[in-house]
Amino acid sequence: MGRIVLKNIRKAFDAVEVIHGVDLEIKEGELVVFVGPSGCGKSTLLRLIAGLDTPTSGSIEIDGRDVTKAGAADRGLAMVFQSYALYPHMTVRQNLSFGLENQRMPKAEIAARVDEAARMLEIDELLGRRPTQLSGGQRQRVAIGRAIVRNPTAFLLDEPLSNLDAELRGTMRAELSALHARLSTTMIYVTHDQVEAMTLADRIVVLRKGVIEQVDTPLNLYNKPQNLFVAGFIGAPNMNFFKVEVKSGKAELPGGAQIAVVHEGPVTLGLRPQHLRLAQPEERAIAAEVFLIESLGAETVLHANVEGAGQIITVLDGQLDIARGAPIRLAFDDANLHAFDAAGQRIG
Amino acid sequence: MPLVLIARGLDPVLRLWQRCTGTGGMITFFLLPNMAIFGVFVIIPLVLNIIYSMTGGVDILLKDRSFIGLGQYGRLLECQDYLVSTTCREDQFWTAVRNTGTFVLFQVSLMVCVSMITALILNRKIAGRGFFRAVFFFPVLLSPVVVGLIWRWILQRQGLMNLIVTQLGFDPVVWLNDRFFAFSAAIGVSTWAHMGFYTLILLAGLQAIPKDLYEAAEMDATPASRVFWRITLPLLGPNLAVVLVLALIRGVQIFDEAYVLTGGGPGTSTLFITQYIYEVGFASFLRNPGLAAAASILMGLVLVVLTLIQLGLSRRAEKGNAR
Ligand SMILES: Nc1ncnc2c1ncn2[C@@H]1O[C@H](COP(=O)(O)OP(=O)(O)OP(=O)(O)O)[C@@H](O)[C@H]1O
Ligand SMILES: [Mg+2]
Repeated sequence: MGRIVLKNIRKAFDAVEVIHGVDLEIKEGELVVFVGPSGCGKSTLLRLIAGLDTPTSGSIEIDGRDVTKAGAADRGLAMVFQSYALYPHMTVRQNLSFGLENQRMPKAEIAARVDEAARMLEIDELLGRRPTQLSGGQRQRVAIGRAIVRNPTAFLLDEPLSNLDAELRGTMRAELSALHARLSTTMIYVTHDQVEAMTLADRIVVLRKGVIEQVDTPLNLYNKPQNLFVAGFIGAPNMNFFKVEVKSGKAELPGGAQIAVVHEGPVTLGLRPQHLRLAQPEERAIAAEVFLIESLGAETVLHANVEGAGQIITVLDGQLDIARGAPIRLAFDDANLHAFDAAGQRIG
Repeated sequence: MPLVLIARGLDPVLRLWQRCTGTGGMITFFLLPNMAIFGVFVIIPLVLNIIYSMTGGVDILLKDRSFIGLGQYGRLLECQDYLVSTTCREDQFWTAVRNTGTFVLFQVSLMVCVSMITALILNRKIAGRGFFRAVFFFPVLLSPVVVGLIWRWILQRQGLMNLIVTQLGFDPVVWLNDRFFAFSAAIGVSTWAHMGFYTLILLAGLQAIPKDLYEAAEMDATPASRVFWRITLPLLGPNLAVVLVLALIRGVQIFDEAYVLTGGGPGTSTLFITQYIYEVGFASFLRNPGLAAAASILMGLVLVVLTLIQLGLSRRAEKGNAR
């Protein structure tokens, strides 16, 4: 239960199309994360799946049933809103029971389900309170509890942690992960935080301007980004890019180092900051001049200027004794090099 | 230029005043004009009214009147059976009280229901929403006398209503000569004239309810009627209470449009308290300013209670909307 298939979904508000034909298959019990920059259509796509909006064209299937025309009430899904959307005039218990009462469930069973969910989320002490009497994290738990008691086919979560402070966000992230492992219900999770995406997801859907750029496991996205956008979006700090010209299978990096590329013409090369290291004297390397040093203790982030090729960022282990303005030489393994053609698509 | 000269001239005076009295004095200075107006038109009449209510006679000047204590109040409240106005000494006053009570009961219920329904409809995404909002608010801008006149022309013997009735093949009715129709007309017309205002208050309340609560309810598969009773109505509660009390206050004060429309008739069937006060104090052949003053003090007490409730409620509504 909980297999969701989107076929060529398009959505336009008035004349403006914001989702441009999305195809996606979400497997039973999978935790899929939608990431992408602000305004790329993550929430819109989630609302289309929820049934709060209807697609302009295309179809949505849940467990083999076409629900494109069905209302939100008939889809058996539960949603956790970014604003929590708790009923402010009801106690926590009433908030949790409300959806079950709609199903005309016996009172005893409602109470049992609410108590179980409350225990699972450790909010049993709060059942008598109103949402205004709760902290942000507690409200978040209640919102999740309201989804859990309904025992839905799938959970839809729209940036559920974005209103929490960093520390609480970390804890809640771990709890959500544990919750998914325990319930093994399909979850679709929207975020623009890539750490959340990488740590929670079975698969990540990278969206840009209403188009899916890539769908894959977190590590595949990191190791084999299919295009320049994904390469630049996943990973922090961002990947370093160099524009080079490939002639008869060879390209020259800034500083004169030669590398082999299976392509001809203009190519963008990408190197993650974590994949650069200080070069040995005779090693092939990129020469640069340090202009900013960020010492984080466990690692050091160097920002450097590469002559004729802009800036380069590198993350080095440990603490380094490097001064501003110092020349450095950065080496890398060919295996860590990403190459993209003129259209931005991955080569090889 | 003369303005500049006046300001130049005033400047040293103001500076002197400020030096003598400090900032507090400046506050007094700027509040003074408005307080003076408030005093002349509200405080002094109020005090005079209380004094008049304790005097007797037909003379209008206070120096010609004799002090009789609470006699006027005694006269108003003297009654063998408060439910039968003819057993009261001032039977017209009690008729007016009963009429006003009935009027308030029906008019306020009608007002709350109608403006609630209108607000709910105008809050939906319907075509021409802006136009309809204007249509319902427009009567609020009309002077009550104009409202009364318009409807008198519609309902009079040879009015628009009878034109329609005769076109449909019925006999014309003299609407305003019929006790029931006249009273209903007073209720209907005053509701029509003021509902835009209450609709606006409720509409603001409806729009303050976050949209995502409704979406959460939709995800919870909540039937529309349950959404209304369990979400909309409780969250609109504070606004609804304000509307209720404001409508009550204005209902008790009903005068102008009803007076123009029916003149209190037929007989005394649409005689309301304010009209009674007006006629006893100013219009009737045997004027009795003392009695009118006493009646208006009694009505004022009722209004003070209602206003206090209203103030309390609107404070709660403000807190609710700020949530
Ligand atoms: N109701 C609407 N009417 C018109 N345009 C809309 C509406 N809702 C969303 N849009 C547009 O659709 C696009 C996608 O919006 P959406 O809310 O899905 O973005 P998002 O990826 O969730 O962004 P964020 O990370 O900021 O929440 C935006 O350009 C937005 O302006
Ligand atoms: Mg969003």
